[in-house]
Parts: sequence; C-alpha cells; structure tokens
Amino acid sequence: MSVEQKKVRKKERSARLAIWMAARSSRNKTFLDRLCRKMITKATAVDPTKDFMRDDFVDNDQGFDPDELDRYQRGETAVVGQQ
Amino acid sequence: MPAPVPFDPQEIVDAKYEERPTREGVTTKRMICAACDIACSVVGEVQKGRVTKIRSSDNPIFKDNICMKGIVAPKGLAHPNRILHPLKRVGERGSGKFEQVTWEEAMGDIGGRLKKIIAEYGPEAWAVSTSQWNTSTDHGLGRRVMNHVGSPNWISGVALCAGNTAAVNRFTYGWFPFGDFSSTNCIVLMGHNPRRHSWTPLYNSIRSAQARGAKLIVMDPRRSSSAERADIWLPLKAGSDAAMMFGWLKVIIDEELYDKEFVANWTLGFEDLKERVNEYPLERVAELTGCDPEMIAEAARVYATSGPSIIPWTPITDMQRNSTSGIRLQTILRSICGYVDVPGGELLQGFNPDIVNESTVEMHHVLSDEQKLKQLGSKDHPAFTYRGQLAFREPTQRVYGQEYANLVTGCHMATPSETFRAMAGEGEYPVKAFFFLGNNPLMSYANMPLIHKAMMNQDLIVSHEQFMTPSAQLADYILPADSWLERPWIHDMFGWMSTIRFSEKAMDPPGDCKSTFEFWKQIAGALDMPEVVPWDTIEDFYDYRVAGTGKSFADLISDTEVYFKKPAFKTYEKTGFATPSGKVELKSSLLEELGFDPLPYFREDPPHDKDYPQKMFTGVREDPYFQTGHRHIPEMRARCPEPQIYLNEKTAKAAGVAEGDWVSVENQLGSVKAILAVKDAMPDDLVRVPHGWWKPEMKQGNGSLSGAWDYSDAQLCRDDPDYLDHEQGIPHLKGIPCRVVPLAAEGPAKAASNAQHMEPAE
Ligand code: SF4
Repeated sequence: MSVEQKKVRKKERSARLAIWMAARSSRNKTFLDRLCRKMITKATAVDPTKDFMRDDFVDNDQGFDPDELDRYQRGETAVVGQQ
Repeated sequence: MPAPVPFDPQEIVDAKYEERPTREGVTTKRMICAACDIACSVVGEVQKGRVTKIRSSDNPIFKDNICMKGIVAPKGLAHPNRILHPLKRVGERGSGKFEQVTWEEAMGDIGGRLKKIIAEYGPEAWAVSTSQWNTSTDHGLGRRVMNHVGSPNWISGVALCAGNTAAVNRFTYGWFPFGDFSSTNCIVLMGHNPRRHSWTPLYNSIRSAQARGAKLIVMDPRRSSSAERADIWLPLKAGSDAAMMFGWLKVIIDEELYDKEFVANWTLGFEDLKERVNEYPLERVAELTGCDPEMIAEAARVYATSGPSIIPWTPITDMQRNSTSGIRLQTILRSICGYVDVPGGELLQGFNPDIVNESTVEMHHVLSDEQKLKQLGSKDHPAFTYRGQLAFREPTQRVYGQEYANLVTGCHMATPSETFRAMAGEGEYPVKAFFFLGNNPLMSYANMPLIHKAMMNQDLIVSHEQFMTPSAQLADYILPADSWLERPWIHDMFGWMSTIRFSEKAMDPPGDCKSTFEFWKQIAGALDMPEVVPWDTIEDFYDYRVAGTGKSFADLISDTEVYFKKPAFKTYEKTGFATPSGKVELKSSLLEELGFDPLPYFREDPPHDKDYPQKMFTGVREDPYFQTGHRHIPEMRARCPEPQIYLNEKTAKAAGVAEGDWVSVENQLGSVKAILAVKDAMPDDLVRVPHGWWKPEMKQGNGSLSGAWDYSDAQLCRDDPDYLDHEQGIPHLKGIPCRVVPLAAEGPAKAASNAQHMEPAE
C-alpha cells in the first residue's frame, strides 16, 4: 500500500468513526448515545461572537397559538391575500 | 441535504449537552422540512393536535438548519385558501370556476377519461409533471404507474435544476458526487449564493468550512453576499461558466497542476481534452468571460493546489446554452485534479444497500424499449432521456448493484419543451392528458405562452395541489394535497446519496387532503391495475422499503433520525467507474455515440440585437419564497410584497428608470412587470429578474391567472434553438437579451431607498 493509499484509508477509518458517532448521537437513548452527542456538540461549537447561524427570525420564533391558527384556518382572522 | 458531519475526533473533550425543554401540553415530532428543496431536519411542536411551531433540530449534526420559510410553515399550511376538497372544473377550461366533488367521483371520471385517451392515442399521450424536490416526493410511485401504463413522458423542474446536472455527471464518472464540506480545503461556487434563509444547510456548511480555514472562490456577475465573503471573486459575464472553466483547465494543464497519476491510471481522453483546451488561451477566456486573465489563473491555481477541493452543484451552470459542456467541465476539473471519491473531495456515495431506493420503486425495466424510445425530446436532445442514459445500465449494475439509477430524479425523463410542444399539437405525436403534482408547470419551465397553449389543448388535466396556483386554475380536477406536516416521509436524498432520514407525521391532514401515495394508489386503481401499488398504507409501503435494515419503519423512526451507510473512499479501485470503459471519460464515448461532440465546447451568444441592449438572468428567488410558492403567507409577503428587478445605477439611467419605479422587462417572447431596485452590486447592463411571481389575491382564471400574465418570468424564458443546450434541450436562463422600459400607472411606486445601494445582490 502506498503512502497516499494509507492516508486515504486512515481518513476512511476516521470518517467511519465520525459516522458511527453521528448515528449514535441521533439515537440519543443510551449513555453511549448521549456521550457521542455531547462530544459532537462540543466539536461543532462555534464561538458565540462569530456564530453565523444566529438569526433574529430564528432566535425569536415563538411559534403560533393553536386556537389562533384554528381561527385563521377558518378565515376568521385571515387577511386573505395580502395588504 | 443534511449538513455534513463537521466532526474532528481530536476536539472531543468535556462536552455538555442539554435537551431543549418542551412546554406543558406540547409534544414534539422529528421531521424533515419540505418548504424548500433542501430538506432540513427540524422539530415540529404539536399542541391540541396541530403543529404550532417548527424549530431546528436538537441533533448537533443538524443544528440551526432552519430558515424563515420553515418557521412559518404552520401558518402557511393553515391558510384559509388551502384546497381541502376535490374540485371539478365548471364551464370552459380556465373559467376559474370549480365545484366540490368526492375523491371517488373524481377518480371514477379521471380513470375513465384517461383510459379513453390511452386507447385512442397510446399511453405516451399521458404526460406527468412533478418535482419530488418540491413535493417531498411521490416516492417514485408516479413513474412506477406510468411505466406500467407505458408512458415515458414524465417531466420535472429538475430537468433544468440539479437533475440534469446529475444525469450529465454520469457521462464522466458514472454518478453524481456530493462535496465533502466537512474536510475540504477549497469551495468553488459558480453563481450559487446560499444564504442564512436560502439553502440554509449549504450556507452553514460553507461558513463552517471557511471558519476552519477552507478557501472560497465565487464566480458570479453580481457582488453577492457569498462573493463578498470569498477569497477570490470572479465577476464573470452571465452564461460564460464553460468558458471560464476552459481558462482554469488551460492553466492547470499548462502548469501541470493536475494529478498525473490519477489522469494516467483512471482517465480516458486526456490528450484530446488538452487539444480542445488549447483552443482557449487565457486572453480568449478573458474576452469571453470579461474577467482579468491573471485573476482567472490565480483562481485556477488555488483550486488545483489547495486540494482536496469541491465544486458543489449550482443552479446556474445547469441553466445555460452550454450547460452540458459546463457541467462536463466541472466533472473534468474534479477528475484531473484527483478530487473524485477522496476525503475532502467529491464523494461518489452510491445507494444505501439496506433501503429500497426510488429508482427501484420506479420499475423502469417494465417499460418496453419501444416506448422508451418514444420519449419526447430523446431524438434531438437525449442527454437525460432514456436514450441518453440507457448505456449506463450495465456499468451501473457493475458498480452500484442495479441497472437504473435515477439520480436526483433527473435521469430518464422527457424534455419539457418537447413535451409542451406535443401537448400543444406541434410535436411528433399528440399528448392529450396532463397531470401535475405539487408543481406549477405554467410558470416553472421556459416559454409560458407555449405551455399555456399546451394546457388549453388538453382533454384532461389533473392537479394534486395545496393552493389554487395559476396552473391549477387550468385543470379539470384539483385534488387536495396533504403537506409535510401531515404525513410520514422517508427521505432518500433524492436517490443520490446513501444517507436516509425519516420524518414523523405530526398532525392529521385537514379536510379531504391526501398524500401522493394515496393519489398514485387511487390512480392505479382507477386504471384497473391496483397490483402496481399493492400496499394498503404509506406505512406498509415504507416497511417494504426499509425491510433490509431488519427493522420496521415505526422502529426506525422512533430509534433514530438518520440511517447511514459506512463511508468508503476510492471504491473505484475495486469496481471501476460506472462508465462503459470503467474509467473517467474526459472524452465521452456515450456523447459521441449519441452524435455529439465528445469533448466540451463553448457556443457564443447569437448576434446582438440592438433593440434588446441588456441581458437578464432569472431563476432567482427571494428568501421568503421557494420557486412559485409562499406568496400567500402574510409574514413572508410583508418582507417582499412585490417582484423586484435589480439594475445598477448606470444601466438604470440609460434605460430611463429610477429606484422604486414600476418597469417592464421585455424580450421577443414576452414581458413582465416589476419594481426597480438599484444595486451597485450589479454589473453594467445585467438585469436580475426574480423567479416565480404571481399574486394569490388577484383574479383567478384565464386572462389574469392570478397575476401570472403580469409577473411570471417564464414568459421571458426562450426555448428556440439558439437558447437551448444541444445535448439536453434545456433553456438558457443566464444572459437572455432584453430591455427595461418605464411602466406608468402600475400601483403606487415605492419610495427610493438608498439603503439598498450598498447591499449585495442576492
Ligand atoms: S432551508 Fe428553510 S425551507 Fe428549506 S428545508 Fe430548510 S428550513 Fe425548510
């Protein structure tokens, strides 16, 4: 096996570990799952001052009130179309 | 697509993780958003039996992959104008009048009429248009039913957006790769501009890569927000992607920056390619692209020497006169630099072996060769049709274990323009029945006047829809569609990648709304072939698809959000590539067999028409909207109430228009209205026309079609030969000659806003 091939196989093993951990993390049921999740959370943490994922629309989202959505769907509060 | 797994084992220490708490009375469901085509993993919060909130996933590998469209989905889908019951047209086609019927009544009549059309004209007289990307899939069932009936005439918006890219990628190395964002060293965006609220996971992936030091090269005529963040920005002329890549190849080959070992061992046609590339010295490329030759050379060097590097799919190169050559040049750059199927490069994932994929569900083998060859467009523009793709059967079986791979659902389809011509009575045979699902075909392909004529010439039109779109207004039947909140879903990455995800049903569909599974099951029944869709419920169907995992769908969905295949690199060393030669075909044997130039080339623009001094590009959508959708949602509409075109100040002055004016953009095919926004981020003489505009509040029915005749950009998209890619027959949408003229008396003009001047052009 050439040096180049060895490098690729090493990366492959590392990718397999990463995928295995991501799969465990997605299960989030056993202690091992949660440990994987914690590790991935740590590994993907972004400096809050440089967090490009932060966004007012996302952060401030409170969702909708179920009764209001019902009324909206019945046309009681809808502005049909716009303006 | 999911975010990549940005994970480095070295960084793991002392992590802390807390579940997001839920409020009392709130239950959560893990879901996949289908408000656009990128399928973010999200969480739906349910109260009193309805989804009241969509938030981003708790899973760190999908974190913060959510945008405003996903967040407002509960309101958008609770809109009072949602179609809740089957509707049957009253009066002539396009009357805009409908009456409520039952599913049984509708299906009885549809089945009878479709059978009559098939008996009279043949099964190929039935065409279907859908976009599995937009509808969160019909699971391959539509094509399965069509294949059993004998019709090859399935079309989709992916014909000019990703699906065609996937199909053309196969000519070089047999599959469509996905870039390994998690460990790449350099990302090249060709006109693509993912943002926080548009293609969000891609935006997050690109910024994550940049944060850990990856370089970003952006080619874009506009100074987009991605261009502003790039290490190198090449402001090329719209539609000159292929010429630019010739320039890169010239530098890479001349300076011997390519991977010599890979080229020698794994490619065919390098010497021929070299000769072709020599026709594009940098001075010529600079002239064709409008970019500085030194910058072109510098960008090429960065791409070739930073390695591994990636060129993600872009919805730009696949919509050009030179699309096939442009896409092929991307594949060639990836290949000769040795970036294919290596960590940090372009991964050829293949199918997940444990899941029955949609290509299998589709059962292409039951459609006879005779019917396959009748597919519209396959004579003149065969690249993604059955005729163009059939030679991949053996190689695909050899490498990926099955004969048919319908990657991104874009392989083996008819060409849209030829289909609409046949529907309009101008084709090689008549098409008289047209179904569309979660798709607004009138506005989603080129040449809207032709599509309108085509639809008016149909004996039967059936639409499966959530809202009264302009296209639905021309239907005989509109059948009410459920939404992604209201059904479970297996997401198989558009038949392209091996990662499988699962979405839970979070609420019951309102009224009589039904899924595409139900739709196709009932159509199969109405055509007296119920055995074609033998499963009783969608869950049964999913159990069949996941049986190879050893679990039921319910088990899987409660157990995990994602089902991976083990990653592997350089698998071609064992299997070869899925091309006839088993090698990367820089010179394509299959394109040659089909009668085309086996090497990429560049067709220059047709002669300049002085009446149309500007060039426009379209296909662009605003953050609150996806394609032709979402204009009914007040929260989204308030952010972007009217269609806007962008010009720079100089071009606006020359056209005699000013910021805030209503203007008309015109060409030989049609015209659209929009408000002008002046953006210094736009180059001279280039016009940005937004995609997919109509106004749900405007008058329905022929004549207005809810404003489609006023605003739909498809009226400007030409499909005459000078504006079609030869091999695929898809239209040129990036650099269409046009003019901008003032338009008096259209609504209150908006006040000029200087604030916009310095913003990037999105
Ligand atoms: S980008 Fe937005 S609309 Fe698209 S899938 Fe993600 S959350 Fe949904």
